[in-house]
Amino acid sequence: MATKTEALQPRSRLSLFGGKGKEILLEGIYKANPVTKQVLGICIFLAVTNRVANSLVMGAALTFVTAMSNLFISTLRNVIPRRIRMIAQVAIIATFVIIIDQFFKGFYWQMSKQLGPYVALIITNCIVMGRAEAFAMQNPPLPSFLDGFANGIGYAIILLFIGTVRELIGSGTFLGITILSDSWYTKNLILLLAPGAFFVGGFLIWILETLNPSGDARDNKEAK
Amino acid sequence: MSDNEHKNVRIILFSIALGLVCSALLAGINLVTAPYRTSNEKAEEVRNILDALNVPVAADASQADLVATFDKQVKQTKLGNLDLYAYTPAGSGSVAGYAIPFTGAGLWGPVSGVIALQPDMETIRGVRFFKQEETPGLGGEISAEWFQKQFDGKKIVSDSGTPGFKVLKPEAAAGPNSVDGITGATMTSNRVETMLTNVAQDIFKEKSANGN
Repeated sequence: MATKTEALQPRSRLSLFGGKGKEILLEGIYKANPVTKQVLGICIFLAVTNRVANSLVMGAALTFVTAMSNLFISTLRNVIPRRIRMIAQVAIIATFVIIIDQFFKGFYWQMSKQLGPYVALIITNCIVMGRAEAFAMQNPPLPSFLDGFANGIGYAIILLFIGTVRELIGSGTFLGITILSDSWYTKNLILLLAPGAFFVGGFLIWILETLNPSGDARDNKEAK
Repeated sequence: MSDNEHKNVRIILFSIALGLVCSALLAGINLVTAPYRTSNEKAEEVRNILDALNVPVAADASQADLVATFDKQVKQTKLGNLDLYAYTPAGSGSVAGYAIPFTGAGLWGPVSGVIALQPDMETIRGVRFFKQEETPGLGGEISAEWFQKQFDGKKIVSDSGTPGFKVLKPEAAAGPNSVDGITGATMTSNRVETMLTNVAQDIFKEKSANGN
């Protein structure tokens, strides 16, 4: 996780943030999308996107955790001693992850059963700590909350897209409703396995990179 | 106090304060959700036992309904060292089936399930796997209806009378004590086979030991 946060150090572009809500939202959801641009949170993404319903709930849970932990960490940013800031961040993140996990176990039992250990594993999702380090530690609480929310939604949208493709091709269903009938459609099981997420994710990143090249690719083009 | 000591004191004070706040939040959420979680877990077990025994319950039965039905018609008994649940349908005097809970190792974690047998202790009324952490969409399919349904009416002994159960390759001809495995989940299928064979042997052992 530590090496990945380096890539998240604010670039000059990020200095635009000072209270600009629209800009923050656009960054998190599209321009600097955590999955397609930063390739973060891939562990959970591989695991849960073989069902649309699981993708939806995971997206919602991650949005809650990122937004809330960003808000808290940003509020405390001037009090957290520099030397233990990572431990403090993890403690705050873990608290919110346990809260959402217990909430699911109490009120959405079926869903919690299906997601198994993955809700608890949000703690290890690089997006959450990445946003805490890169944004919440340097910005006031409200923009930080918005930044966490935007990144969560950006993650959720990608999960939803990949989940739709994987479930449709892998199981022939969408949200559990049969779309491609067994009688003529042979399920492509590899889409349900982790490699399936890499294939679909790879194609998606390719498309998005073509539409909206990231820094390096853009600079290379200009240099030529 | 030197600068450095001052810093250390601040770090310790901050850690204590943060720890207290986080614990308070966690204790709070635990307190709020605990009753719901316990009743969910209880109802989940009850639902699976009733399901395996094929006890008729309304599709939209609430958790309280399930527990009430369970308490009325199912009694916990013992056969030797084996815990089992005897099902006596309402308005009938005789036991219509037994449910035996079991656990075993799955691919990623423990699997708990329940197997329900006819009073002959050989023919399966139903099998349910709950509490499992197998790969969703692959091994996780052991909790799916199509997989569990295959067990109905099968036996836990082979034609020659040896206790055991087989989970074969998908679409292999299934005998009286075998079902189709799951494509792409050979490891889970093998472990389920071991689990069921163990429980079959236990039942067989207790049955012959207790002359039942």
